[in-house]
Amino acid sequence: MDNEKTCPGHNETNLYASRRNFLRTSTALAALAVASPVIVKAGENDEKIAALFEKMPLQIEVNGMAHSLSVEPRVTLLDLLREQLHLSGTKKGCDHGQCGACTVHVNGKRINSCLSLAVMNEGKKVTTIEGLANGDKLHPMQEAFIKHDGFQCGYCTPGQIMSAVACINEGHASNEEEIKEFMSGNICRCGAYPNIVDAIMDVKKGGQSL
Amino acid sequence: MKNIDSYTHVRGESVYLDDIPVVNGTLYAAVFDSPVAHGKIKSLDIREAAAMHGVVKIFTAKDVPGDNQIGGIIPDEELLASTHVHFCGMPIALVVAETDEAARVALKKIKVVIESLPVITDPREAKEKGELIIPSRTFQIGDTINAWHQCEYVFEGRADTNGQEHLYIETQGAYSLPQENSAIRIYSSTQGPTAVQRTTARVLNIPMHQVEVDTTRLGGGFGGKEDQATTWGVMCALATYHLKKPVKYSLQRMEDMRMTGKRHPYSSDFKIGLNKDLKIVAYEATFYQNAGAAADLSPAVMERTLFHCTNSYFVPNVKATAYSCRTNLPPNTAFRGFGGPQGMFVIEAAIAKAADALGISASVIQQKNLLQTGDEFPYGQKAESEANECWDKAVELYDLEKLQKEISDFNHSNKQYKKGMALMPICFGISFTKTMMNQARALVHVYTDGSVGVSTGAVEMGQGVNTKMLQVATNIFSIDPAKVKINSTNTYRIANTSPSAASATADLNGKATEIACKEILKRLKKVAAEEFKTSEENIDLKDEWVYANGEKTMWEWKRLVFETYFRRISLSEHGHYTPPDIHYDLKKEKGHPFAYHVYGTVIITVTIDCLRGIYEFDSVKVVHDFGNSMNTIIDIGQCEGGIVQGIGWMTMEEIVYDKEGKLLSNALSTYKVPDIYSVPKEIDIHFLATQKDNLAIFRSKAVGEPPLLYGIGAYFALRNAVKAFNPSADIPYDAPMTPEKVLMSLYHPFKK
Ligand code: FES
Ligand code: FES
Repeated sequence: MDNEKTCPGHNETNLYASRRNFLRTSTALAALAVASPVIVKAGENDEKIAALFEKMPLQIEVNGMAHSLSVEPRVTLLDLLREQLHLSGTKKGCDHGQCGACTVHVNGKRINSCLSLAVMNEGKKVTTIEGLANGDKLHPMQEAFIKHDGFQCGYCTPGQIMSAVACINEGHASNEEEIKEFMSGNICRCGAYPNIVDAIMDVKKGGQSL
Repeated sequence: MKNIDSYTHVRGESVYLDDIPVVNGTLYAAVFDSPVAHGKIKSLDIREAAAMHGVVKIFTAKDVPGDNQIGGIIPDEELLASTHVHFCGMPIALVVAETDEAARVALKKIKVVIESLPVITDPREAKEKGELIIPSRTFQIGDTINAWHQCEYVFEGRADTNGQEHLYIETQGAYSLPQENSAIRIYSSTQGPTAVQRTTARVLNIPMHQVEVDTTRLGGGFGGKEDQATTWGVMCALATYHLKKPVKYSLQRMEDMRMTGKRHPYSSDFKIGLNKDLKIVAYEATFYQNAGAAADLSPAVMERTLFHCTNSYFVPNVKATAYSCRTNLPPNTAFRGFGGPQGMFVIEAAIAKAADALGISASVIQQKNLLQTGDEFPYGQKAESEANECWDKAVELYDLEKLQKEISDFNHSNKQYKKGMALMPICFGISFTKTMMNQARALVHVYTDGSVGVSTGAVEMGQGVNTKMLQVATNIFSIDPAKVKINSTNTYRIANTSPSAASATADLNGKATEIACKEILKRLKKVAAEEFKTSEENIDLKDEWVYANGEKTMWEWKRLVFETYFRRISLSEHGHYTPPDIHYDLKKEKGHPFAYHVYGTVIITVTIDCLRGIYEFDSVKVVHDFGNSMNTIIDIGQCEGGIVQGIGWMTMEEIVYDKEGKLLSNALSTYKVPDIYSVPKEIDIHFLATQKDNLAIFRSKAVGEPPLLYGIGAYFALRNAVKAFNPSADIPYDAPMTPEKVLMSLYHPFKK
């Protein structure tokens, strides 16, 4: 029986791969629009095309600070924050939009930063966990997470807190049921959920404006 | 006291492996792993990948300077496959590149030709074919063969539990840095820094003192980083060794799920015999543990299955045999409970089966057989039992009778929804079952300004162990917590550590810290006694002041420390602790392996939707034996987290491999872990506070693993709810009880 298998790497379709493909397609399209036929020909080679369009300018405000950056178009907002801006408070749990650890606010709305390309945030205002406190003074949600012990290992915590702040701002924290629904995108493997709910309820009841 | 990491956690300032600032010139690693579960490597072509832009070097088995071996208990697992692959996800090559992206792009250009060999995924099949990791082991007490005659009722059956993915939110990873004179520092997200150090030394053929492993904290471990964090540390070190460059590898989620082992699935047979008073007279069990392709920690996990096979019950005649079966899955490994839960599930299934047949509630049998102090476990240790105390308290406190009535009323008046309830007593032994591992050390320095630095072998992974260590030091010195700092876990400060596991970390390292602090305290008191012309017993330290003969002196803590230093007396101590009285005779399978046991009882209630099969846990009511909890906030958190994880294992977490040994549940989208909805609507935890002496640190009993066992009750509550709808349902004892399975059993046998 000939049972041999040739395997050039894995053929799993993970998001990383598809994100790359998307970018390849989009940069290739961009190349079509602006470049000479010679370059389009080179476009058959993904890597060369990628090299051609290696960086794009990006104006972005992060935690109140304006940045003028140049980024590769395939870089996610999460990687931009962590690798380029060295804001490692935003965590990577899955890179697939499935855990919520990477939650940040963009123009006041929460998003999974692993699902957003950095360049899509041109001109926007990003707030990360590092931008929540006012110097040494903690944000009320941070206080509440401490008060209610809303964590164990702490790895999901920045995402939980960013999500929790948005949950209240969106008006989605009027009761426990609603909080559960609107916090369901944030996974905590340590199972600190009951305390997370308590923390949010507490802040909501306190009526602090966030 | 609050978790000492609270402030940095909520600010995103706590540093995990992937947050360590990288130094210039850092290279990035990625592993090329086997696409098939079993086979012979015919060829491996890395040329195209190696020539790619940004790729620095690709390492294979040939590049291992020492022993290409990472097996901790048994040397049966290669770091990089040389001739054969034994599971999908087995590392074959290590790509090192200038960027993470370049490394991953290169992976796709590696070509391997593998001649497939037969794949085994089922442990019973493995046993049939003689594929065992170690010889089987049997625990025995009394004589089951003759005991069956004394039984009024005898029942037999089979019980299965699936595995469980750890899904620590921080994936595995390591970062290694070259040091002068060829030493290597490895930052590792590991529960066992010494294991990383020892294995690195072995693989690189260098002495252990050349390898420094440092661990600040983990974003969750749950056992998944006890042994299986080693691979990544060693991989990075291998590259650093050859390239003299810093090398980092932080696994992607799907790589992590694909390449690492999980909780062991078990398939088991049971036979239980009861007399007419419903006392369990005899119990036999055969466990087929799905070990995966290599030993990893499987022999130790299997051992704990046997230790806990009778859960919280006294059974005079027991024979339990376990087989650790080699299959072509990633080597399964430690996971909170460490084989104990798998063993307990089986006896609970046996009791449920008996109860069903006799038309009574399982709780009747459970209650009648709870361990009493002095009862002997099958392995010879005598119980210091709190089983009845926990059970009785739960029944009284939560008004079991009323609960039962509410449920039967509800079930009477509802068609679409049914409720089910189960009680689950637990008993869990604390200590490493391998006696040798029950040792720990702590290094305490008091600095001349009165601040204190503590280093231990404990790894912080959310269980709050560092907070407890800090409590020990502040308590003994009677100083402000702000004066004490707990340092990262580092093999250069603390050598030969046991992994942070077996729920024993706080006890072992806490006692070592206590010993070190007390030794320094003794010296301090001696200095004060001389100064105040009294004896040491008459010196007290209270809130940073020195008291002599009960009188407050002029010396505060800082002065005392400085005066001691001035007299050239050491302000440092290295404490060493081993729990007394622990021993085990492997030949006889008898001994006293545990420092103590933790007991508890849970009452779990669930409501199922009989149209859809979905369900919701109404309440989890616990009475738990904490001893004398030294940190109730942390201990409650551990309890709640353990319960949620246990319920997850029993209900929704379903690991699926195909016949070819490929993991199908390979991401968070296909593997469901408890989300915020899965938490029971009500969790009550009552502290059974006992003043009895025990070997726990400050008499505060270990709390990491035991609460997970409560989750087993969730399975039986669901089963009872299904039975309320469909009394004739023949539900196999096969966890997890997913909504799909609930739905199928609601309408089983299916009538057209
Ligand atoms: S890392 Fe973005 S959702 Fe998990
Ligand atoms: S605190 Fe560990 S994952 Fe949430």
